Amino acid sequence: MKLPVEWLQEHNKKITDVHDLIHKLTLAGIECELIDHNKKQIIDFSLTPNRADCFSLKGILQEIAAINNKGLKELRNHTSTIHHNQTIPLEIESSHDCPVFVTRVIKDFDNNVNSPLWLKDRLEQCGFKSINLVVDIANYVMLETGQPLHTYDLDSIDSKIIVRRAKNKESIKILDGSSRVLNNDFLVIADKGQSLGIAGIMGSEASGISENTTSIVLESAYFNFETIMGKSRLLNLYSEASLRFERGVDPNIQSQAIERFTELLNQEAGGNNGPIKQAISNKDKPENNFIFLRKNHIRKTLGITIPNKSIVNILKRLNMELQEKDFGYEGWSVKAPSYRFDLQDECDLIEEIARIYGYEKIPESTEKQNINLQLNSLRTEKRNEISNLLCNFGYSEVVNYSFVSPAMNLLSKKSCSDALDIQNPLSIDMSVMRNSLWPGLINNLSYNLKRQQNNIRLFEIGKIFSSHKKIPDEKLVLSGLVYGNRHNEQWGETSSSIDYYDVKGHLENIFNQFRVIQNISFKTIKHNLLCPGKSASIRIKNRTIGFVGELNPELSNELKLDLNPVMFELDYDALQTNKNISHSSSKYYPFSRRDLSILMDRDTEINSIIKMIDALKIKDLSNIIIFDTYMGEKISADKKSVALGLIFQSKSRTLNDDEIDRYMLKINQLIIKKMNLTIR
Amino acid sequence: MTGRLSDLSKQALKDIRNSSTLEELDSVRVQYLGKKGSVSTQLKNLSELDPSDRPRIGKEVNKLKKLVEQEVANKKNSLSDANIKSNIEGSSLDVTMPGRTTMIGNLHPVTSTLNDIEKIFLNAGFLVEDGPEIEDEYHNFTALNIPENHPARAMHDTFYFNAKYLLRTHTSPIQIRSMEKNGVPIRVIAPGKVYRRDSDITHTPMFHQIEGLVIDKDINFTHLKGILHDFINTYFEDDMKLRFRPSYFPFTEPSAEVDLLSKDNQWLEILGCGMVHPKVLTNLGIDNETYNGYAFGMGVERLAMLKYGINDIRLFYENDLNFLNQFK
Repeated sequence: MKLPVEWLQEHNKKITDVHDLIHKLTLAGIECELIDHNKKQIIDFSLTPNRADCFSLKGILQEIAAINNKGLKELRNHTSTIHHNQTIPLEIESSHDCPVFVTRVIKDFDNNVNSPLWLKDRLEQCGFKSINLVVDIANYVMLETGQPLHTYDLDSIDSKIIVRRAKNKESIKILDGSSRVLNNDFLVIADKGQSLGIAGIMGSEASGISENTTSIVLESAYFNFETIMGKSRLLNLYSEASLRFERGVDPNIQSQAIERFTELLNQEAGGNNGPIKQAISNKDKPENNFIFLRKNHIRKTLGITIPNKSIVNILKRLNMELQEKDFGYEGWSVKAPSYRFDLQDECDLIEEIARIYGYEKIPESTEKQNINLQLNSLRTEKRNEISNLLCNFGYSEVVNYSFVSPAMNLLSKKSCSDALDIQNPLSIDMSVMRNSLWPGLINNLSYNLKRQQNNIRLFEIGKIFSSHKKIPDEKLVLSGLVYGNRHNEQWGETSSSIDYYDVKGHLENIFNQFRVIQNISFKTIKHNLLCPGKSASIRIKNRTIGFVGELNPELSNELKLDLNPVMFELDYDALQTNKNISHSSSKYYPFSRRDLSILMDRDTEINSIIKMIDALKIKDLSNIIIFDTYMGEKISADKKSVALGLIFQSKSRTLNDDEIDRYMLKINQLIIKKMNLTIR
Repeated sequence: MTGRLSDLSKQALKDIRNSSTLEELDSVRVQYLGKKGSVSTQLKNLSELDPSDRPRIGKEVNKLKKLVEQEVANKKNSLSDANIKSNIEGSSLDVTMPGRTTMIGNLHPVTSTLNDIEKIFLNAGFLVEDGPEIEDEYHNFTALNIPENHPARAMHDTFYFNAKYLLRTHTSPIQIRSMEKNGVPIRVIAPGKVYRRDSDITHTPMFHQIEGLVIDKDINFTHLKGILHDFINTYFEDDMKLRFRPSYFPFTEPSAEVDLLSKDNQWLEILGCGMVHPKVLTNLGIDNETYNGYAFGMGVERLAMLKYGINDIRLFYENDLNFLNQFK
């Protein structure tokens, strides 16, 4: 809401230092700033939704008076001369929704008169467009008093005005020319035949005034704000009136606003005034209750003791009615003024006291606190451990949006029956919750390649989403992508592309850190996004916890990538630190090593041989190292040669050559006879 | 015999002197002192001598052996020294050549900012809590004293999945979840992603918040002011000027916005806070006469932007390595 400074000054001569005023208002919770508009000083208010009472000149003047501890000069009350007796019959079907409904018929004003310059200027300074004299005066009175007014063309109303709930699927063509379909939750103003407007939001096109209008029905109502609340959002139809009605207007100013409108219209364009015709239901009119305010509770909440005199003074400045009472504790019974809908509980009153007293006067202190030894930061530590390892392997962390385009989601899955769609996305590119972090990482790769980055390693820890039987689900995963060379270009290193085995090594280092490496296995799989023959599932015991592999070359081609990036994605929560560290107290005895070179089919997984050797259960065989593999001209094309280093070490004594020879014989026999492989 | 020994001695010393490498010296050593070396042979041959001569000659042969051993050792030392010296001279490095490097990555600035903030509050005895990013209406709004249709809901432009589920618009629902789980007293912070339907130079539809909640006996507004000022000073590693100004959040009363005085004398809004509304506690079945407390929430990107002088929030989500690698 915008108000020109000179309008405030017209009613409060003491306003001279505008910057000081803005400072004081801001520190009292009325956030505002000074803007310059055609050399006029305007204050722009950012009002919080609880301060409905401040949505007018009158409200702001009240607030200034309270802050400055100076009495308020009330706006002048006007009583218009009555020229005729015509009224329009009122029928309030639901007085709960509409406790106060006030009307006046004004006839035969001069419809050739335009809004005077002062009115046009003032409205413009407040951010309103000038429309015509009647609408402009209505807006002006709303800005001045906070009471939205509505005007109907007298001739468009069929016999009476009815305030009722809308019928289900009742359709109405509103002032902006569009149509809205309502239901029973909405309140409408209607005549005998049709609805004239959506109560508190906007009038109908048919009942609106036109350039030929010379007689009007003026409406000034108090609608229950709970009836109006949320309706603008449902219709996506916001108006200055709805903004005020859904926060609540003062239920005691309806007639006053009508009189003010009449005064201004008569002054500019004459017209014959009818008597005020009103329907008021006192039992439905909101009435603030007395709230018990305990002195010790003020102290308990704010941590300071404010003298009783100051408390009473602050409450009175805010137009509260109060009685000192003795309910077994020291305190007051306090009633907030009719325009303060936000003051319902003791804590609301304590905030009022604090804000007028001044937050800055409340000191800072340190609380007494119990010692807490719970190791709850483990979650953060786990994340840091993984992140730091990956950073040391050259990965940079990225953070992508959790929503992607449907096409991006299809990248990682052929069908997306479990896709989680956002009902009201910002754009189609952000309309589905991601089901993998890979599409985001691939996007980041393309983006950075375009910016002349060559060797790119990225990781992200974030949630992926799906929907099972319409119940959304989320899961935290860790993903990474590498592209380019193993080393940045430097002397003494020949460049070679980073590959599957680099990434596998990075992952194995992570598994080692978590002490779960013994339970991890890699298994060839087929995966949509990955290259057949160069992709694996990662398993802990028999459970798949993720995937690693090269991007499918078809996709690389589509994405215009020269190389195939290697990527991984892991279920983050499956990665749990093995808390058992078993310490072995055995003494050291020297080890012996025997090397063995095996010629095998190219397609045979080396793991199958290691497993067979393990199955021999040679207890002194402590480790097997694969120190070389060869494929090439020296052997047949469908073969590969693998060189194993077998490490023998006992925990209880030094092994002698004869024992080791016997072990080797067993292993050789296994490989040659059982597995039909050649030892080179 | 003595003459022969004297010749042998002269020859040995000459051979030792003439050795120019450690290998040559070693073969000289073998030639004289080896099992079949000429000095060793002399010792073996002692038995063939006249018994009366043996002690004298034996003494001389031993003297010779010691002399040769000593000379070999001396020569070995000097040859090694020369060797090391020549090795050093011939193999100096260009110390200005760049060192061998491996690639090192770094954390996203949002993560490192979160880490910085978490560390400070962990030191102050807070525990870290977590919550779902997909929330239900109840935890995101209703439990926080924001009933359906309340105008305050318009402060949060919400992404919905259906009538019940939405993307959380703030980390405040974790307050509710952690009190449901752990009861009171409680002292937690809750970091995480939040979502609002908004996008411009100061807003991205996804950003990060850290929520703080303390509920205990005898907690008041002075404590809230104290901890937040301490936090801000620690985070910015400087004595910062703050102001607390009244504001409105449905789940705190009194509520405040905290502004920070920038180097160019501007008040910058950095966080929202307040005393937890008694209704929030009552809804959870907590006795609000015995217990009360404070809550605060801050934008992580905002704090990172102020610390590092970043002026466009969208940079955080472009993931340009040129940007990210500045936060090593």
